[in-house]
Amino acid sequence: MNKGIKTLPKMLLIGACLLFAGGASAATDAASTGEDTARSKSESTADHSKFEELNKDFESGPEVTEACLECHTEAAEQVQHTKHWTWEYLNPVTQQKLGKKNVVNNFCTSVTSNQTFCSACHVGYGWSDDSFDFTSEKNVDCLACHDTTGKYKKIPGLSGHPNYDTMEWPPHSGNFREPTDLTKIAQNVGKTSRQTCGNCHFYGGGGDAVKHGDLDSSLLEPTRYLDVHMDAEGLDFTCGSCHLSDSHEVSGSRYAPTASDDNGALIRGKKDGRNPTTCVACHGNEPHPGTTVSTAKLNAHTDKVACQTCHIPEYARGPIATKMTWDWSTAGRLDEQGKRIRIKGSEGRDSYDSKKGTFTYERFVIPEYTWFNGNVKFTLFGEKVTEDKVKINEFLGGPDDPDSRIWPTKVFRGKQPYDVGNETLAVFHTAGKDDSAYWNTYDWDKALSWGMEAQGLEYSGEMKFVETEMSWPITHMVAPKEDALTCAQCHRENGRLQNISGVHMPGRDNTPMVDTIGWTLALLTLLGVLFHGALRFIMSKKD
Amino acid sequence: MLKVITGFFIAIILVAVVALTSAQALMFNITPSPYGVEETAARIQANIQKPNMKANGWSLSGLRDPGKAVAAAGGNVMPVLLIEACSTKYSGPLLKADDTRIFSILMPCTITVFKNDDGKTYIGTMNAGLMGKLFGVSDIMDKVAADQKVFLSFDPDEAAPPLIKVQPGGGGGGGAAGGGC
Repeated sequence: MNKGIKTLPKMLLIGACLLFAGGASAATDAASTGEDTARSKSESTADHSKFEELNKDFESGPEVTEACLECHTEAAEQVQHTKHWTWEYLNPVTQQKLGKKNVVNNFCTSVTSNQTFCSACHVGYGWSDDSFDFTSEKNVDCLACHDTTGKYKKIPGLSGHPNYDTMEWPPHSGNFREPTDLTKIAQNVGKTSRQTCGNCHFYGGGGDAVKHGDLDSSLLEPTRYLDVHMDAEGLDFTCGSCHLSDSHEVSGSRYAPTASDDNGALIRGKKDGRNPTTCVACHGNEPHPGTTVSTAKLNAHTDKVACQTCHIPEYARGPIATKMTWDWSTAGRLDEQGKRIRIKGSEGRDSYDSKKGTFTYERFVIPEYTWFNGNVKFTLFGEKVTEDKVKINEFLGGPDDPDSRIWPTKVFRGKQPYDVGNETLAVFHTAGKDDSAYWNTYDWDKALSWGMEAQGLEYSGEMKFVETEMSWPITHMVAPKEDALTCAQCHRENGRLQNISGVHMPGRDNTPMVDTIGWTLALLTLLGVLFHGALRFIMSKKD
Repeated sequence: MLKVITGFFIAIILVAVVALTSAQALMFNITPSPYGVEETAARIQANIQKPNMKANGWSLSGLRDPGKAVAAAGGNVMPVLLIEACSTKYSGPLLKADDTRIFSILMPCTITVFKNDDGKTYIGTMNAGLMGKLFGVSDIMDKVAADQKVFLSFDPDEAAPPLIKVQPGGGGGGGAAGGGC
C-alpha cells in the first residue's frame, strides 16, 4: 500500500468529520492519555476548548448537542438520515424493511421492547419506546462518535444516555462510575476512531467479540498478522479509512454488502454511487501484481472468489474467542438460593448464564463458505416458519450469477423462543426494571406477552425453542499475504471449499473422462515398456 | 545366489520405505476431540488430576502455547496447547539407572491439543507403548500408555473445567510432594 493510498482517505475522513465536529481536536491515540496530549497531537485547525459555546456545565447529552448545532447547523439533520439513527433500511431488491429496529437475530434476538437497553448503541438520547421523537435534533448524540477522551460511555438501561450521576456499573459489581464530565468531553471532540466505532461494533450481541467474529477489541491496537490494514505499527487504518462517510452517511452495510465490483479501483472522493469500503475500491480488479503465470492465475480467481475468502483464512484470530452458539432454552436455571448462576468455560468466558442460557466460543474459526451476490433475505417477525431449523437470514447468489462470489461467513447457531400458535419466531422482553422483563423474573410467558405485543402481535400462549442459524459476512481481520490460504487448502478433497457447488475445482473434483484417458495412457506406457523390455530380452537370447 | 542377495536388498528397501511412510502414524497417536482447543486441554488436565491418576504419581508440569511466541514474532498460527505432565512413579526408575536415564529426554510427557484446517480439534500423544518396546522399557511405558488413555477419556456430562495455567516446570502444584518432573 503506497503512502498516497494511506493518507488520502485520512484527509477525506478529516474533511468529512469537520462537517460535524468542526475539526478534530484530538488524535485517536489520545483517548487514554487525556486532553492535553490529545490537543498537542491534533491535526485540527480548531481547539474546541476555546469555543464559548462549550465552556459551560452541561447537565445532559442533549444540551451538548444543542451547543454543537450552534456551529454545525446541518449535522443533526444529516445524522437523522442515516442508519445509525433510523435503525431502518429498505432493501431495494427484496423490498424487506430491515435495520436493527426490524430484524430478528439469534443473540439478544430483538430491539423491540428492549430499546432502553439496546439504545446504548443508538446515536441518540432518550429512545426507550415507540414514543421516541426521531425528528428532534437535540436527541442526536454527537459524542458517541466524536469523543476522543475515551471517557464517554452510554450505559445500557439509560435509553442512550451516559450516566449523569454516580452509578454502580456493571450492576452489583461494586464498581462505581463517576458522573460523565460532559464539558471535558465536548471540548475534546474529534474525528471518529477505532475506539468510538468499536464501542458498539466490537461489543455487538452483548459482549466483546460476541456477534461478528471479525470485529472485537483486539482491533483497537492490532498486530500486523491480525489485520494488515489496521496494524498499529504499520498502515494503522482506522475504521473510517475504509468506511468513508459523506454527510454522516457511513459507507458499508451488512444489510446490502457489495459482494463483487468489477469496476476497478475507486478514486477517493469520486461520487459515483460505488461502495468505497470494498477491497477492489483500493486494490482494483487485478490485485496481485506481477506478470508471472501464478499471479495471472490468482487474478483470474477474482471472478469467482471474494478477496476475503483467501485473505481472511480464519476469523477471531486475536486473543478473544468469538461466540459461536447461544442456547436460550437452558436459561432460567437458578441456584438453591434462587439466585442467578454464571459458569465460566475453559477459555474463561461465560458458558452459562441464568439470564441468557448456554454459549460456546471459539478462536481461529474456519469460516463457512457460500456463494453470495450481496443480497440477503431475512426471516422477519410475524413471518410464518416451521419448527425446523430456521434460517434467520439467507445469503443469495449462486455459481451462475455473475455478481456472486464465494464468500467466507460466520454462521451463528442458536435456540430461541418460537410462538407455536402463531408459527413465528417470538419477540420477548429481555431487559428492564418491570416485572415482565425476562432478566428480572425468568418468566417466559410474561416476557413473550410483552414482547409480542410491542411487535404488534398477540402471543398465542404456547412457546417452544427452535434451532436458528444466522450468517455474517467476514470481511475484517485481513491477514498479511503470506498468511493467505494456500492453493492446496481449497484444491483438495475435503478442503475449505468442499461444500461449494457449481464450479469445477482441480484437486477437489474429478472429471471421469480425463481420468480415464490419463490412466489409459499410463497403462499403455507401462505395457509398452514391458513389451519393449521383453522383446529385447528375447532378442538377446537369440543372439 | 545373486537372486537371494537381490531379494534381500529389495526387502530391506521395501521395509525402509514402509517404515518411513508410516513412521508418523507409528510414533504418534492423533485422535479428534469433540471440544474446542481450550476445553479439550482443560478436560485432559482435569483427568490428569483425578485421584486415580494422582495415585499413579501424575501431576501437571506445565501448559505451553507455542503459538504465542510465533505471534510475537509476527506470525500467524492455528491454536496449539501443550500439556505437560509427569509421574514420579514412572520417571523415578528410569532416572535412577544409567542406561535408561537418557529417557529423561521424553520428560515430561507432552500431550498436544491443536486445531487443523478442517476446523476440528485434535489430540496428539506419543505412542508410549511402541517407545517402550523399541527401547526395552515396555514394563514402564505400557503403564504410561494405559494412563494416557485415561487422560483422553471425556465425560460429556461433566461441566467444562477451567484451563489450569501451570507455569512450565512448576510441578503443577504437585511438585515434589505429589509428583511431577
